[in-house]
Amino acid sequence: MEKAEILAPVGSFESLKAAIDAGCDSIYFGVKQLNMRARRAHNFSLDELKEVASICKKHQIKSYITLNTLLYDHDLPLMRRIVDEAVSAGIDAIICQDVSAIQYANEKGLHVHASTQLSISNIESVKFYSQFADTIVLAREVDLKMMEEVCRAIKEERISGPSGNLIRIEVFVHGALCIAQAGRCQMSLLQSNTSAQRGACLHECRKKYRIIDDETDKELILENQYVMSPKDLCTLPFLDKIIKSGVAVLKIEGRGRSPQYVNTVVKVYKEARDAVLNNNFDQDKVKKWIEELKTVYNRGFCDGYYLGKPLPEWSKVSGNVSTDERLYAGLVNHYFPKAGIAEIQIQANEMRKGDRFVVMGKTTGVKFATADSIMIDEKFVETSGKPSMITVPVSEKVRKNDKVYILKKREQHEGA
Amino acid sequence: MKEHRITHKKDKCIGCNSCVLIAPQNWQMNNKEGKAELIGAKKERHLRTAKIFECDLEANLTAEKTCPMQAIKID
Repeated sequence: MEKAEILAPVGSFESLKAAIDAGCDSIYFGVKQLNMRARRAHNFSLDELKEVASICKKHQIKSYITLNTLLYDHDLPLMRRIVDEAVSAGIDAIICQDVSAIQYANEKGLHVHASTQLSISNIESVKFYSQFADTIVLAREVDLKMMEEVCRAIKEERISGPSGNLIRIEVFVHGALCIAQAGRCQMSLLQSNTSAQRGACLHECRKKYRIIDDETDKELILENQYVMSPKDLCTLPFLDKIIKSGVAVLKIEGRGRSPQYVNTVVKVYKEARDAVLNNNFDQDKVKKWIEELKTVYNRGFCDGYYLGKPLPEWSKVSGNVSTDERLYAGLVNHYFPKAGIAEIQIQANEMRKGDRFVVMGKTTGVKFATADSIMIDEKFVETSGKPSMITVPVSEKVRKNDKVYILKKREQHEGA
Repeated sequence: MKEHRITHKKDKCIGCNSCVLIAPQNWQMNNKEGKAELIGAKKERHLRTAKIFECDLEANLTAEKTCPMQAIKID
């Protein structure tokens, strides 16, 4: 069995480090402007491509740029610049949907991943795109049997890409699902002129709706007002079947998510992938892994379309139902490596003895710790108060200006 | 004629072309950058500012309202 690649979403340098620490095999990220996550607080600039590529090379993982927005004529010069910069920085591939980008990347010898936005769902489409792309991302709407068929046909018919190697199939294994066929939704555009195809989606599908009869003003009583918001895809319970179908790349969604999310999800899927390879993947482990996944952002989990269910299950709350919530505490002021002690400036939320917390930073990535003891002015205290300067033991190195968040159990929403 | 001050946060622009279609008298597409450009604007740090006439106000208010990145502001 081929070792399937774990492909991690990266929206910041913090997430990049978090993904690497968690053991991903490759990462994908977008750059400013032509980015399906244009609303993110941080988006990589063209100047940062070299830094991303060099960090990835140093850690022997692959880096892919996502450039899968719709492209207009006025976008073409920028698209070409991004491809040129990617080639010169040593980025491994580009994930794109627009023929102009596919064609230009081909001209420049940059590997192409045919984006899920192309909704590739059958072997003839795979053959067509194999003229231009070495990796093909299947539509999220295909089922496991179709996935197997496609992978089998690629091997039997020796379908290869421009590099001469057999086509590799990439599938989403975890993260948000669109209610529309991925890449076809116009809801955000029609409601507020914010096109999802340009990365400006306002997530109209995630909102609560009422159904009112215009004639009588009577309202239908709905069991669940989130009539269009699917739960998140989680393929862990059947990851063994996905891997055995022959897919080469297991892709995790979430470039807009926190470094903690990236770290946790990548770590869990890597463990699960390795368990499948070592023939010790079982449902007891799956239960444990799912509990871990639940600690970070999720809308509840479902199988997506992979097991042939007609519709995804509906989320019953607005947004996140993670079991843990993050409360911002403050910034790291100093780290004493010999003693393994961090000095933290507590600003927003006070820390109590025994609190679990997470430290996140560009170089640090994501580090978890527990406040076994808290000291202020060399005296032990039960709680930090705020504002205050505390010292707590942190076994792994953290750095000045890293952000510190306290992890608390979230009060669960009904129906979550 | 009364004038209004209009501000563009160009770094936020994703080149959707909406303002150019709605108020072409004040907006044009910069094809090199793939971003909209406020015609006759002065650069003030990361902002571009210009004065528009009353007769162009309505179109620009629509452009402000429909900008997906809220990059346009009219005082």
